[in-house]
This record gives sequence, C-alpha cells and structure tokens, in this order.
Amino acid sequence: MSNPTYDLVIVGSGIAGAIVAHQLGRQGKKVLILEAGAPVPVDRSGYMQTFFKANAKTPESPYPPTTQNPTAATPDNPLGLPDPATENAPRYTVLQIGAWRNPKQCYFDYPPQPPYLKGDSPEVTFAFASSYERIGGGTTWHWLGTSLRLFPTDFTLKTTYGHGVDWPGGQTFYQALVPYYEKATDVIGVSGDKTQLDTLYTQFKVSPSGQYGPDYDYPMPAIVDSLVDQAFDVPAVTTLTVDGNPVYLTPTPQGRNSLPGDRRQCAGNTNCIPICPIQAKYDATVTLGDALQTGNVEIRYRCVASNIRVDDDTAEVVGIDYISYDEHTGDATGSGTVTASKYLLAAHAIETPKLLLMSNKNKNFPNGVANSSGQVGRNLMDHVMYLAWGLAKDPVYAFRGPLSTSGIESLRDGAFRKNRSAYRIEIGNEGWQWAANDPFTTLADFVFGQDTNQLNGNAVNPQGQPLRFNPNLPANSQLFGAQLVDTLNGIYVRQIRLGYLIEQLPDPDNRVELSPTETDHLGLPRPRVTYRIRQDYERDGFVSAKQVSTEIFNAMGATEYTRTPPAPVLYGAADQVTATNFQYQGNNFTFYGAGHIAGTYRMGDSKSDSVLNARQQSWDHGNLYMVGSGVFPTIATGNPTLTIAALALQAADNILQDLAAA
Amino acid sequence: MSDTMDNFIGLSAVLTGFASSILAPGLDPVNIKAEYLPFFTAKVAAESGNPQLVDSIFAKYASLAAQQLSDQQIGTAMLDPANGADFVLACRKLIFMWYSGAWPTLIPASASAPASTVSDLISAKSYTCGLAWQVMQSHPMGDSNYRYGYWNSQPPALNDYTGQQGA
Repeated sequence: MSNPTYDLVIVGSGIAGAIVAHQLGRQGKKVLILEAGAPVPVDRSGYMQTFFKANAKTPESPYPPTTQNPTAATPDNPLGLPDPATENAPRYTVLQIGAWRNPKQCYFDYPPQPPYLKGDSPEVTFAFASSYERIGGGTTWHWLGTSLRLFPTDFTLKTTYGHGVDWPGGQTFYQALVPYYEKATDVIGVSGDKTQLDTLYTQFKVSPSGQYGPDYDYPMPAIVDSLVDQAFDVPAVTTLTVDGNPVYLTPTPQGRNSLPGDRRQCAGNTNCIPICPIQAKYDATVTLGDALQTGNVEIRYRCVASNIRVDDDTAEVVGIDYISYDEHTGDATGSGTVTASKYLLAAHAIETPKLLLMSNKNKNFPNGVANSSGQVGRNLMDHVMYLAWGLAKDPVYAFRGPLSTSGIESLRDGAFRKNRSAYRIEIGNEGWQWAANDPFTTLADFVFGQDTNQLNGNAVNPQGQPLRFNPNLPANSQLFGAQLVDTLNGIYVRQIRLGYLIEQLPDPDNRVELSPTETDHLGLPRPRVTYRIRQDYERDGFVSAKQVSTEIFNAMGATEYTRTPPAPVLYGAADQVTATNFQYQGNNFTFYGAGHIAGTYRMGDSKSDSVLNARQQSWDHGNLYMVGSGVFPTIATGNPTLTIAALALQAADNILQDLAAA
Repeated sequence: MSDTMDNFIGLSAVLTGFASSILAPGLDPVNIKAEYLPFFTAKVAAESGNPQLVDSIFAKYASLAAQQLSDQQIGTAMLDPANGADFVLACRKLIFMWYSGAWPTLIPASASAPASTVSDLISAKSYTCGLAWQVMQSHPMGDSNYRYGYWNSQPPALNDYTGQQGA
C-alpha cells in the first residue's frame, strides 16, 4: 500500500512482540500492536484472587478467560471447562489435556487415533501437553524465569550428530546471536553469576575461554540456592557419570530480581508458575510498558488478527484484518484492516501458524501466507518432560523459594547425542506439587486412609524399597492430632522432584492445521493438532531419564516414589482414553509438557524447507517477519525464553535496517 | 466466642494438632473460623441429611473436654467408629478443611482405580489459611511473608507453626 499508517504492525504482545516494539519505538518508528486478549491489568491483584480461588492451580489458572468454573461442573464436565466455541480468544490449557477428545471442552481439535495401534507404536498420537496465554504480556505471565543460553552444538544438531536440522548457517548463526544473548540478559534482568557457569561453558566449548562473549556478565548477582539444591549437591551425586558426562549442579540464571530495583526483590513465593504475586519475576508487561512509554507504540487489545492480505503482484503484505470484541463471550464489536510498511507475527507457535493458514484467500498463496514450502504449522515441538520424585533421607524443606534454583546442565551435550535425545534436569523446589498435587494428595491419604501417593500402604518401589512412610503405622492409617502433624511434616519437608527436559526432534507430521469442523466464537477455525513422540531417539531419552533418576536418588540416599503410569488406552470412550501415556521397551511412560511450544514457522537455509530465512523474514513476502520460538529449527537443550528474546532483538535490528533501506 | 464457636475451635485443635491460638488467634483480622463454622455446619447437614449431626458432634466434644482428658484421648473418642460413619466422616472432613481450605469429596475405589479424594476450595482466603502450608514449615504458594533468600536456611521450628509447646 502506498501510504501505510505505521512502520510496523505486530500481532501479539508477548515477550517477542514487546521487545521488537520497544526497539523500534525508541528509534522513533511508529508501531501498532494487535493483541487478541485482555489488556494488562492496572495491578495483578485480580489475577491473584482468581488464582487463589482456582481448584486446579494450573499455569493458566489466574488469567482470563476463566479456565475452570466449579459452579458449571456437570458429570461429564467435572472441572467446569468453558466451551471454546463460546469464547472470542480461547486458548489451550493443561486442564484440557484430559478432555482432549472432547471439542466442547478442548480448544484443540485432534484427528482420530489411527486404528489398530498398540501402546508402544510410534504412530500413536497424543494430546499436546503445553499451553500458552492470549493476554497482554503473553505467556511470560506464567513462565518460570529460567534464562539459559543454548550451546554451540544446539545449532548444529544435524552436522554434529546426524539428527534433526541445523539452524541456518549453523555455527555462524550461533556466533551472530552471542551479542544478542548479552542484550537479552539485560532486557529480562537476569540474576546470575558467570563464574558459576565457567565449568559448564568450558565443558561445552562455548568459547576457548569458556566465557559467553566478551561482554558477558549478568546484571544482578545470582539467586541463592535452596536447601533442596544442596541435598543434590553431594559427592555421591556429583561423582556420577552419565554416558561419559560428569553430573554436577549449576545454579540457574533466572529472570527474577536478586536485588530490589525496577522490580521487587524475589521473596520466594514459590509461585513463579502460575504467577509471581510481586512481579519480582520478569514478564513482558515490563517491556511492553517501556515500548508504550516511547510514545511511538500503540496497542489495541481484544483485536484478533484474522487474515493477512498479500498484494497479487508484489507478494508484499499489504494489510492485516482483525475482528474486535468487548467481552470474552460477547459478539464481535467491529472489524478492520491495519496497514504498515512491515509486518511482524509474534503470536507464539500455535496462533501464528494458525493465522498464516487462515490467510488462504490471496490469489497466489492458496495454501496460506508464507507457506510456499508447506512448512507452516509443521515441526511442532516441546521439551517432552519426564518427572521423577522421591523423599530425601533428611529434611530439605521443599515448597520454599523460587520454583527452581538449580539444574543439572552437564548432560545437555555429548557423543551420546548421536544415539538419544539430550536433556537438562531441572531440580524442583516445590516438593511433589507438580508431580502429585501435594500437599493435598498426601493430606487426603493420611486423613482418609487412602494411598494415592504410596506413603500409606504396602507399595514397594522397583528398587525393592517399601514405600510406607512410617513402618510403625498400619497401612491406610487415618491420623489426627500430633501424629498427623508429625507424619505430614516428615513427608513434606523431604519431598524432592527432578524434571527432564528431553529434546524433541522436528517431525514434519507433528503439526498445527486448521480444524475442518471447530471454530471459536468469532467464527475463526480452531487449531487441529497432530502430535507424536515418534523417534526411538526421543524415547531413548526417556529410558535414560528414568535410569538416571534412580541412580541419583540412590546415590543421595533418597527413596524414589515415581509412580508408574497406567498403560495407554488408545481406543474407547472419550473420557476413558489416555492422553499422554506411551510404552517403550517394556516401560509405561507418561510425558509432561514444558510449556516450550516451538518450531511451527521455522528458519532455514532454503526456501524449499523453511518458512523464514536466518533474518526471521518470510521467504515469500519480503516485508513479513516472525519471532518467537516458532522460528526455532530445533528445540535444543535449554529453556527457550532467553533465546526468544535474543532472536527478537536481532529481528528488531533486521527490521530497522530494512526500514532504513526502504 | 460463642459456645458453639468454642467447641468448634476446641475440636478443631484436637483433630488438627494445631493450637487453638493458631486456629483462632486473640487478634484475628483474617477470622477464617467465621467462614469455616457455618460452612462446615451446612455441609455436614446437607451431606448426612441430619441437621442435628453437627450439634451432636460439638456436644460430644464438650462432654469429653469437660472430663479433663488429653487431646489424644478426646480425638480417639471422637473418631471412634461407634459414633457412626457420618459422625466420624464429618470429623475427618473437618481436619481436611482446616489443612487445605477446601471441602473434600471422597471417591470410592473402583475396578480401575483405588480410592481418592477431590476437593473444592471454599474461598480465596481459605486457600491461604490452609494448615498444610504451616505443617511443612513454609507459606501458601503465592503468599509468602518471608524475605529474599530465606530458602537458603532452615525454617523456624515446627512448633512455631503449630503453636504447640515442647520438643
């Protein structure tokens, strides 16, 4: 269009979009952000009240629209999940995982399970296990804060180990990203100590000096470690090796304040996910506020991008259509088209490909915008998670501090990566909260004489250890008074949990498509998601995780309580089939989501098999860019947010450069 | 406090193992007891179909307390199956309510699953009042009164949380 209104229109106000908006706004560029969801509230007390009242304290529980409504519960909808067809900006929530076969309760539409499969078949499809937010500030509202940099070999998985793909340019890409990692660390406000990372970075050849770039440091001192961390950091554990790699702990660089500053100092609310009550943890509302304060950035909330218009002759994007609404379940209140010189999609790895695929009315792009490669929506990835939990031999005082303060990063790379997925191990400070819904499950066990958590019965773990917490009490004890206090205390203060973030390979058949039948309240198609864990490479990562957990627990004298999940149920009634269970080499596994949705509009070296070039620019439309973890060619071995931020800063420079050249 | 509230707190202290001074402090701006007592009364009546059951529970407690029995003796007597299934279950649910701030529903064992419990939070306030957070020597998740770095050292003694005396 000859006279566009803005320099840049951005779809999405999460961390990636907010960073680009801020970088352009501070350079005097005019930016408009379309945000599908609700505005950033004036303070977070309303979200906190919703969180406190929520029965299931899931990552999405504080945020609108409501994820659960007990007063609307019915026998076939016990959690009171809202019908996504009634919502203008619905999203997938982890409570929907169990309802994945019911589109009245689940936003995603899933294709039918292929027939005649056994539980160990690689062709079994699962529910996707991770979620996101559609609100001002995006999914960083509920991120953990882990701010790890990827390793050089994460960018060359194909060249170095023969799996997946390389990032475009491989090592060159990594080198170019290093200064942006530095900048991203400042934007987020990461607390960390570079000397604590020297051993790790030397092991993985981050640079000859073991340091991450010439200006590498953190803006705030490291967050102190927890007593839980210290229980793992004992010689019996740190003399273990796994596939030739040493096992040792690394304090996690974290996007939360170790010192008071623009944000408050972390007070250890143990609630980073779903919500930090005091905003000691970074979230994108910080950067979004900075962007708006430049005076050059506007945001329109409750505006759902619905179509991208492309010029038939130039293939340039010439506008983005949107639909507006006032209430989550109300009627649409308007529609329009916004125009700019450049366009940026920053709507995360489900809604971005959905928007591209919905934009299928352009004459020369019938398969959707930016999709000449056919790669839009493909290669959906997550860090598939294995959880292991146990009781330490001495009190570690779980449920205190940030949710995680250390990890085992030393197993993220090595020659074994030719044979199986690598992983990092997150050490949880939240006891069995994630693993077993404690403190409430163990409470019910000892008040009502149940044995869900195996502490109050006759269970024996695979290592032959009896699991009854107090052998002097009978099985299925029902306690009260001092004995209840002592028993619960003895259990809770010893609870430990490990989480393995297993690298999932890009699989073109793991994909987001448009549902042929399901729509939201605005009439827009909902995502249809096909998701498998198909490679033995990935499944061997689970086997390793299971073995390593047992070795670590044994070494530290802990008793393992990891529950063996039931066998997969692939066929039958919607409420009977399992969602995330699979079998492999005789083991029953369940996987969890890490919340790291990635890969659905990947960068690459070639127009034929990627959506974006290394500049995060569409191969098909020169004035269209995309940011967020959807650009990742592989999900790599670190939590994605710091890399998302670094890539967004890099994309902002590319867009500024292209605006200057125009 | 009324006699009913006295009995409610006294019984709750015996069954939870927390001191009355923790459940109902002298200065009590939170005043969760004022939420719990009517909620408990209504729930027990509705679930048992017996509007007199709560009164009989409190009366039994009052008579035991008047006999200068130990907490252990009172609790054992209150939870004696001879009191009847509904009576004992109401007492157990009282424990669960104080510890979790939620009201439990017990799901019996089935062919495919062992017995388990689900629960509904009573209010936003009741979540933060759950004794489970105190018995773990911590704070409700999302509602910490501690300061930066506390997680790096041991918490105060358990008795500081339960209000009980002694070792």
